[in-house]
Amino acid sequence: MAGFIIRRLGVMALTALCMTFIVFLLTNLQPNLEKLAKTQAGARITDAEVASWIDRNGYGAPMLTRYGEWLGVLPAPLATDADGRAVGGRCLRGHPGLAADEVPRFCGVLQGDWGYSTKFRRPVTEVIAERLQRTGLLMAWAFATMVPLALIVGVLAGMREGSALDRGLSTLSIATTSTPEYVSGVIFVALFASSMVGLKWFTGSAKSAVEGATFQNFTLPVATVALYGMGYIARMTRASMAEVMTAQYIRTARLKGLSFRAVVLRHALRNALIAPFTVIMLQFPWLLTGVVIVEALFVYPGFGDALVQGAQNNDIDLLLAVSVVAVIVVLATQLLSDIGYALLNPRIRVA
Amino acid sequence: MERLSWTGALGPWLVPALEAALVALALAALAHPLALLAGYRLGPGPEAARSGPGRAARLTGGLLRLSLWALAAALAAFLIGGLLVPPEAKGILGRIATRLWPVWLSLGASFALVALFRRRLGLLGHLLGNPAGAVGLALVMFWVFAALFADQIAPFDPITDVIAGMKNKPPGTPLPAPEGTYGYYLLGGDALARDVFSRAVAGARVVLAIAPAATLFAFMVGITLGLPAGYLGGRLDLLLSFLANLVLAFPVILLFFLLVTPEIVAMGVPTYMAGALFLFPLIFLTILWNSRFRTRPPLRAALIGATLVLGGWLYAGLAWNADPFGVVSMPAGVLIVFVSVVFVNAPSVFRIVRGLTLDIRTRDYVAAAQTRGEGPWYIMLWEILPNARGPLLVDFCLRIGYTTILLGTLGFFGLGLAPESPDWGTSINAGRGLLQFVPFPPLVPAVAIMSLVLGMNLLADGLREESLRE
Amino acid sequence: MTTPSSRADTRSDRTHPAARMYAREHRAGLMDRREFLGRATALGLTSAAAYALIGQPEPARAQTVPQRGGTLRIQMDCRELADPRTYDWSEKANETRGIIEYLAELRRDGTLRPMLLERWQANEDATEYTLHIRPGVTWNTGEPFTAKDVAANLDGWCDTSVEGNSMPSRMAAMVEDGKAAEGAIEIVDDLTVRLHLLRPDGTLMFGMADYPAAVMHRDKIGTSVADHGIGTGAYMFEEFKVGERIVLVRNPDHAYWGDGAWLDRIEFLDYGTDPSAWLAGADADEFDVTHETVSDFIDIFSALGWVESSVGTSSTVVIRPNQEAEVDGVRPYADVRVRRALALAIDNSVPLELGISGRGRESRNNFHVAPDVHPDYAEIEAHRQDIPEALRLMEEAGMMDYEHELVSIDDDYRKNTTDAVAAQLRDAGFKVRRTVLPGSTFWNDWTKYPFSSTNWAHRETGIQLLNLAYRSTAAWNECGFRNVEFDALLDQATAIADDTERRAVMARLERIMVDEGVAIIPYFRALYRHAKPGVLNIEMHPKYEINVHHLGWA
Repeated sequence: MAGFIIRRLGVMALTALCMTFIVFLLTNLQPNLEKLAKTQAGARITDAEVASWIDRNGYGAPMLTRYGEWLGVLPAPLATDADGRAVGGRCLRGHPGLAADEVPRFCGVLQGDWGYSTKFRRPVTEVIAERLQRTGLLMAWAFATMVPLALIVGVLAGMREGSALDRGLSTLSIATTSTPEYVSGVIFVALFASSMVGLKWFTGSAKSAVEGATFQNFTLPVATVALYGMGYIARMTRASMAEVMTAQYIRTARLKGLSFRAVVLRHALRNALIAPFTVIMLQFPWLLTGVVIVEALFVYPGFGDALVQGAQNNDIDLLLAVSVVAVIVVLATQLLSDIGYALLNPRIRVA
Repeated sequence: MERLSWTGALGPWLVPALEAALVALALAALAHPLALLAGYRLGPGPEAARSGPGRAARLTGGLLRLSLWALAAALAAFLIGGLLVPPEAKGILGRIATRLWPVWLSLGASFALVALFRRRLGLLGHLLGNPAGAVGLALVMFWVFAALFADQIAPFDPITDVIAGMKNKPPGTPLPAPEGTYGYYLLGGDALARDVFSRAVAGARVVLAIAPAATLFAFMVGITLGLPAGYLGGRLDLLLSFLANLVLAFPVILLFFLLVTPEIVAMGVPTYMAGALFLFPLIFLTILWNSRFRTRPPLRAALIGATLVLGGWLYAGLAWNADPFGVVSMPAGVLIVFVSVVFVNAPSVFRIVRGLTLDIRTRDYVAAAQTRGEGPWYIMLWEILPNARGPLLVDFCLRIGYTTILLGTLGFFGLGLAPESPDWGTSINAGRGLLQFVPFPPLVPAVAIMSLVLGMNLLADGLREESLRE
Repeated sequence: MTTPSSRADTRSDRTHPAARMYAREHRAGLMDRREFLGRATALGLTSAAAYALIGQPEPARAQTVPQRGGTLRIQMDCRELADPRTYDWSEKANETRGIIEYLAELRRDGTLRPMLLERWQANEDATEYTLHIRPGVTWNTGEPFTAKDVAANLDGWCDTSVEGNSMPSRMAAMVEDGKAAEGAIEIVDDLTVRLHLLRPDGTLMFGMADYPAAVMHRDKIGTSVADHGIGTGAYMFEEFKVGERIVLVRNPDHAYWGDGAWLDRIEFLDYGTDPSAWLAGADADEFDVTHETVSDFIDIFSALGWVESSVGTSSTVVIRPNQEAEVDGVRPYADVRVRRALALAIDNSVPLELGISGRGRESRNNFHVAPDVHPDYAEIEAHRQDIPEALRLMEEAGMMDYEHELVSIDDDYRKNTTDAVAAQLRDAGFKVRRTVLPGSTFWNDWTKYPFSSTNWAHRETGIQLLNLAYRSTAAWNECGFRNVEFDALLDQATAIADDTERRAVMARLERIMVDEGVAIIPYFRALYRHAKPGVLNIEMHPKYEINVHHLGWA
């Protein structure tokens, strides 16, 4: 088991390395750097000023060298003016006014420095930590509503395959997976949060949830995330439940004279929930896309918003950190789902 | 001219009928689960459990079915009645039904054909007997025919017909100067005074041109790489799986933002990606013919030659916009969206194909082919692939639905097609801000997207059930 | 000591001869009130004196004294800060106006009001300005605010070597060789600075009131106030999160010079660029004031019971071909027939309706001077849509088959206006392809697109706009319009102080713009803002300015 986990962690590191390199490559193309220079130093600066800005701020070196600087395996050069004062360079970002000899030579990931967000004007670690916390809250609530509901719906539907209840619930779950967030969210806001329709039960903006999530300001974003994800889990649960219900040991139990309720609750449920468990874990990364939409729709400044802002403003260091977090989330949930599957199902051994 | 009502002359009779059916349906839908649960609890032992739900549940179940049929009948009456009454008595629904007549005709004809040759059609024939599958097929075919006949159905041009005074008007509004035109905006006007109904229909054409084709390309890529990865294994598998996981670990939105930003487009990155991805169908077909007709060189040469010439021509036109005859090309905006969608879908297909191959390659018929001395590509393409077609077909349907949603997501972030494009995602995004006040411009494409994806999912469900039964 | 002679001195000192001339022109109907007030105050008159000169009482402002205390939440983009001279968005100045202030302030009615200056006066030909600094103003470090600070800032405003510094163009009458001319800035005493201009300029004070002219401490010029917080204003940052929110609170350790600063706390909240998100925020009672309400949302916010305020401006969307742009080796818009054909295909009322829901007024013709707003507006004949003529011209130019790529930014009114123009061009029979770029990308090349739309902000006079955007050598000449005759007329018009005479030249300039088909300029916008009932002094400003010191609750 330990070897298995170590190997998976190694793959994770390699994936993160490759992914950050691709992101680095795409965000550091010359036109993107020029765009960055213009957003940083003013839209009306001349081409010569763009070139000098790029050089002075440490974006001028060859791509591979700068990737090494970001990793922290290569020293980042410092631009100085005629008086020997530091005027720019990777390690100076976010610390204006630092004397030239105070600036560290290395400032990459290996030194624990994730860089400086040019959009938010703060260290990347601060931005990411704050944003992840907020998105974590959103995800936690979404999961807390989505998972139990989906399991109940799935179990009820799978109990008697082909019954009217099954058909109804299955159609319902298919309908929810067919309704993307940008449709359901918009309709929710129009119905439940607008002065015009009149049902002002909730608020259509979750910005105030930053200071404190309440039932009023957090319900709609949570519901929007949960609705889209729910159908999928429910259908997996239904399939798994339906399969279990036809298994030999269930038939035996029923022939023994146990009531239907007892059979479902005592025998079928536990085995039927193994498969959905992996699905639920794998939902994490998938929900990330949904979270980006929901955060944009409800003006909730979380991780998804950081991703969009970073991408729109070519915030290189922020995007690199975002992609590392994404890799870790995706691969860690995969790992957890594998381990969990093994633990729940005694017949499988992790090789 | 006055504004049209929804139901026209039929309203006074049909609306109450519809309402009654809806109320009955709601009551039955509430009562049935309760009756079911109550039945289980009351069941006095094994006999009751085996004999199924109690009498109350059977009653409510029957009521549920009956009210469903009543609802369907009422809706059908709207459509058929709307078609039949004289034009001046038609409401909005009747007029829409009339505009859609090519769709009804083709739908009827195709279902009649399928029903007639049911026995010989295999899976497709069985599908008609499966309620979910039949409804799904009907929904999907509805949009397919709507897309095909869009020019006949849409009363206005979806892009250029900007009629002053029609901005954000409600459904059924007559034009200020109706002479020589259809006269009404059936589902109202959007923020740029274009006809919402025409745009929704034209949007079907855009969506159904991109989503299935992009999914098909993703399948070509996934299959061409997934089969050898699963069958041959080894380093190749390790490398390809790593790459697939790499793409899958990317947050989709970030990938899109990176690929679709104008700076990266200007660098030609999407064109190079198209150059690589569009090669796969060519490779796939070439290998397909080569492995099958190895023993019949003339046929093999003819097929491969035709594939390379025809495919190469399409390839040059689509990927590089370099068709020597200037016929085949893809607008730059569409190409970017297309390539991005193929790129994010291909790795998932790869994983599915690889998993299926790992499973199937241990079967007896594969071993038999190996002992016959067949080459690996023959076994992969002509032994393994046909036996994996069931799950792949199901995934294909699901994936078209997912791709449709993805196209909308791109539109949501303004990354998709040109702003005047009538595709549904773009229209929803353009209209969503004013949804509370002017609901129809975003709502109509929203319903369209939901119904098409729902149809795809139901179809996939039906296919899965039927292929399991086979 | 009020001897008759000294009173007479004071009088002549206060009332600039040019101001008296303007008053005569106003009475003769040659200059509207707004322009008169602007020009007179720019020369150093108090607004009361300016109103008195034309025999009108100054409008009462008694009801606008707010209560002390309270919190106000304003929806606005929260942008990152830099050296104020490089500010390229009025939002940035609104964020810092509570900390770093201005020598003077432009009011909604077009008058200038002294702030850090107590008053100023110009000599007769507007070549020498005397700036009297308000006594008793201190920095929040405790140091007094003196002539040295003003002189250092003026030096900085004239420095063209700073990347992105936009002040030198406003201080052009003092700039020589990329910096302030030798001897142009003279410190007379601790509270007096005298400026010696190279050439007459009656609009210099407007430049000093513009949003990049925030006054920094003399040792902090070139820095961002977010890094040190030193200023003369009553407030300080409590929280500063770009793209999220910015909170200003009253600085407890600083004695503010003015009697304003009513509020205890001001929050700027960023809701992104989507107006429906603003509406959701308003519906959720998350803020009290919008920065700018746009298009269809104007009526909606009013329907919510919020108080609407609006101001007519010269801001507009210019849909222009670039005459020098090359597309596949040819210059499609070098031919005047093509440009005229494009303009003739458009009915300017359609972009007005579809682009901004009629919230503005249709332009007279396709020239960049706004009626009723610009004092130097001259009336020439009106634009009329003429599709047959448009087709004839385009055919004559042999460009009927050319596909025009029309670029715009991705937002509400600019995109819709451009879409409306594109639809009309297609209607006329031309081929048009639309490209929409996100805001972060659009501005990188905005002057170079072959055919695109650009929004232009309000300027006080028409001649300012023509100099900025249509002079051959102008950095923002996005039309690629280089016309010797036009430039010569511009020089002539700029040198004319008298409006009657200037108008005659302006009419010729406007005519050239129309005949050359320089751009399609369909309308001039009115700007709107909404606030909850009870918010005082938040009325929409033609340049979006918000001075947090004035705001408060009734």
